[in-house]
Amino acid sequence: MPASPFDGLRRDLAAAGANPATTPWGELTRAGPGRETGSADVLEPPLRHVCVGEPEAWNSDVAFLDGSQHVELVGHVGTDPLVAAVVRAAVRERSGRRLQVREELSRRVVVARPHVLDRLATTITGHDCIALDASVPPHPLHDLDRAHAAIDRARAALEVEVSRSYRTGRDNWLIADGTLAVSPEWATDRRMVGVVKSHGALPFEGTDLDTYLTIPAGHRSSVFVVSGGGRPPLHAWGLRLRAWEGHDLFHGLVRVEVAAGNADAGGADLLSRRLLAERSPLATGPRSDRLLYGIHDVDRYLRVRGAAT
Amino acid sequence: MTLLGRVVATELRPSTPHQFSFWTAPHAPLGIGSIVRVDGDERVVYGVVTEAFAYSDLARPLDAVIGADGDPGREDDAPTSRPEIRLWTAAVLRQLPEEPLQPVPFGGVAAASDADVRVALRMDAYMQPDKSTGLPIGVYAAGGLSAPVFLDADFLLGPEAAHLNITGVSGLATKTSAVTFMLSSIFQTFPAEKGSVAAVCFNVKGPDLCFLDQPAPLGDADLALWRRLGLEPAPFPDMTLYAPFKADGVNLNTLRSNAALADTVQPLVWGLREILDYAEVVLNRDDVDAKADALIDFLAERVVGRQFEALELRGAPFEVLSFADLEEFFRAIFDHLETSRGGEVWRTHHVATIRKIRNRLGNIATRSKGLVTDDGVANDLPWGAFRDRSLTVIDVAGVDPLAQDLVFARVISRLREHLERRDLGVDHVVVFVDELNKYAPADGPDTYVRKMLLDLSERGRYLGLVLFSAQQFRSQVIRRVTGNAGTTIYGRMDTDELALPAYSTLSPAVKAKLAALPKGELLLRHPHFTQPVFVRFPRPAALSGREGVERFPPSPDLPFAEAVVQRLRALTPGIIADQVRAVIDGRPEAEVRRALSATVRRRPDDPFAFFRAWVRRTIPSESPEPRRGIAPLASDDDDPFAPY
Repeated sequence: MPASPFDGLRRDLAAAGANPATTPWGELTRAGPGRETGSADVLEPPLRHVCVGEPEAWNSDVAFLDGSQHVELVGHVGTDPLVAAVVRAAVRERSGRRLQVREELSRRVVVARPHVLDRLATTITGHDCIALDASVPPHPLHDLDRAHAAIDRARAALEVEVSRSYRTGRDNWLIADGTLAVSPEWATDRRMVGVVKSHGALPFEGTDLDTYLTIPAGHRSSVFVVSGGGRPPLHAWGLRLRAWEGHDLFHGLVRVEVAAGNADAGGADLLSRRLLAERSPLATGPRSDRLLYGIHDVDRYLRVRGAAT
Repeated sequence: MTLLGRVVATELRPSTPHQFSFWTAPHAPLGIGSIVRVDGDERVVYGVVTEAFAYSDLARPLDAVIGADGDPGREDDAPTSRPEIRLWTAAVLRQLPEEPLQPVPFGGVAAASDADVRVALRMDAYMQPDKSTGLPIGVYAAGGLSAPVFLDADFLLGPEAAHLNITGVSGLATKTSAVTFMLSSIFQTFPAEKGSVAAVCFNVKGPDLCFLDQPAPLGDADLALWRRLGLEPAPFPDMTLYAPFKADGVNLNTLRSNAALADTVQPLVWGLREILDYAEVVLNRDDVDAKADALIDFLAERVVGRQFEALELRGAPFEVLSFADLEEFFRAIFDHLETSRGGEVWRTHHVATIRKIRNRLGNIATRSKGLVTDDGVANDLPWGAFRDRSLTVIDVAGVDPLAQDLVFARVISRLREHLERRDLGVDHVVVFVDELNKYAPADGPDTYVRKMLLDLSERGRYLGLVLFSAQQFRSQVIRRVTGNAGTTIYGRMDTDELALPAYSTLSPAVKAKLAALPKGELLLRHPHFTQPVFVRFPRPAALSGREGVERFPPSPDLPFAEAVVQRLRALTPGIIADQVRAVIDGRPEAEVRRALSATVRRRPDDPFAFFRAWVRRTIPSESPEPRRGIAPLASDDDDPFAPY
């Protein structure tokens, strides 16, 4: 690593009992807009660090689920943007240490204001059309943000659809990239695990937040409840996959989500140990500190498939 | 056709008309040298694998360390194995259609079949059912396939191209075996309509080529290979080995001296006339000048083999038939010059030139005693009577390097002369020379032998004179010789040699394979093949030199009389030793040698009678007693009529 003008300051910080960090600014975990901290119900009070034990392999085949989206602004009608996307989702199952695709879906989507879609109806055949809320006043930049959010939802819906296909006749554990809160179906699937890498919304405040953010490597937090939005509640806990010392607070930190009642203390420990085993082989790419290799594999598969079309 | 892979091309690694990449599953039955077929875009492309890569999605080695927590043993504990690619690079052998020449299409890749190999190597051009000039050289073996590979006789033995050169480290490259097998193949399959063919091999080390007429035991795998190539696993039925004598003039200078094989060994003996024609060989660069040439021409045209009168030297004419005669002739000149006043020139030849030529010719007679006879009776190769499919081995392993040069020069020159006149007895002759880096070195003096080999490699194909040559280090041989070889073979190679720029056209993987090539496998270049291919050939059906000396241990040198007996026994097994001893007892050895040589050469119906007659034909010289004259009459001073 090249020398930093702040190396001396970092040494002083360490001497003063602080935790020096070396994560480049561009790689820091940043909060997204509108995210807040909360105060989740802790099922194993008080909130504390729990050592989960040594990594442990899954005792059966396990599958990974992820989705991807390729979004482009394809034009304007007047000043109203037309956004197109290809959304994809796939499940790849691991059997004998090899991952192979089991389910795969893709959709071509266009998003625009309703009058734009009406005008281009004969041009955009073969695409799923998503109309933006016409009651919101037009704004080219805000419309782009809303189009992107609509595509996010379309991708999430496709992920749910592909998981549903996979679930038919299969009872394997299915590990999804992200929260299970996107679907009541997922939130009640007792063989599904959501691994959330982003931490825009934090479950605690104050000293509990300090406890949550300083989970040591190989430890989890107490199990807590994630609820809201009218969906079934989820049980979750923080799990530190890799030591964060020397990095930012979120280095190696994931939030693990399962259906409510699906993880008592022993179950949370077992799932945590299994997820710790998934640290190897190391996935490369953004947020590799908390990216499971199986998820990375699905993501790469979808990217390659996207490039092929 | 089982699909094994698929062509891949990226901006950084595009397909071209001459090269392409493809991927396969990790366990695809392919390797360096495999021939593959690509089908796509109404085009079929054949390629040979020249490079192979394997890698995973690991971006940095450090990621593997981190992923395994620094413990190599935990790498295998990872629940998921990283995806792994087998990426191959292939060089295009042929495209169909051949025009327009285009980049290799993105098609499926399959292993070549038997028929594919034939097309890929363009063997279909010379392997037509009604007219084939194919000579089997070995099999292309990969993935369970064993496809025969043929060379085009027109490009191996002329006239389109010719010559074969083989390179490889000693002992492991199977150079001699490869050439031996190739000669077998030629003898068995060279089309009769192309004419007759014979081979002359110089055995330059040990017993390498001495037992090629003796059958070798072959294993099932080798027999299967012979059969796959359509050849009969048999040694050379018509082989003659020529070897000079040792200095004693009766024991042959060869490791094929076992009594059981004595009748198939012929002595190679040359006289003054044979040597004088190639006197340039024995002269070094400094010796070659107009004066020396003039004297040699004078000797050859005016003196040797005829009556030469020089009254200033002596009254009687000279009859120079042997080195001894020549020495007497030179002695007479020196005596003359020493006794004449101010005489440094004899018949325009300066005394220094005469001394130089005398020394050089005397040198060959001394150093090559056994090859050069002093008695004027030569035993030479059957010039004009070479037989179709006959193998002549000339064993010069045990003779002086100067004599080796002389043998090379004379034999090859005579072959060329006879082929030019079309009176050799055969239309094509393959000459095999091992250790080419010794006889045609890239660096070193421009010797007569080097020039002769160069001439042979550049002009021989027009005459039907074909050079099969071998060496350990191709880089140490003059490039014009190796470059003229239409067919080039590489056996196991030395890595230092492979690092030289001359091998830059070979991929690192091909070089790595060459450096560890097993016995019996070779890399082959041929004019019809656009890329070199690996082939496997069977073990020759003839005994190797090592096996030969184990089965037929060389006989120890015999005393003169015993050696004569044994050589006559080779002609007449029932001959009685005592009778021979009785004939030669008291006779000069030179005389016996002469008689023996004549007997062996003529092979009469009754060799012993012929030998005895020849020995007796020479009347031993006896010094006449001095004439005593008539005793004077007793003097009688008293007799007045007495004459004295």
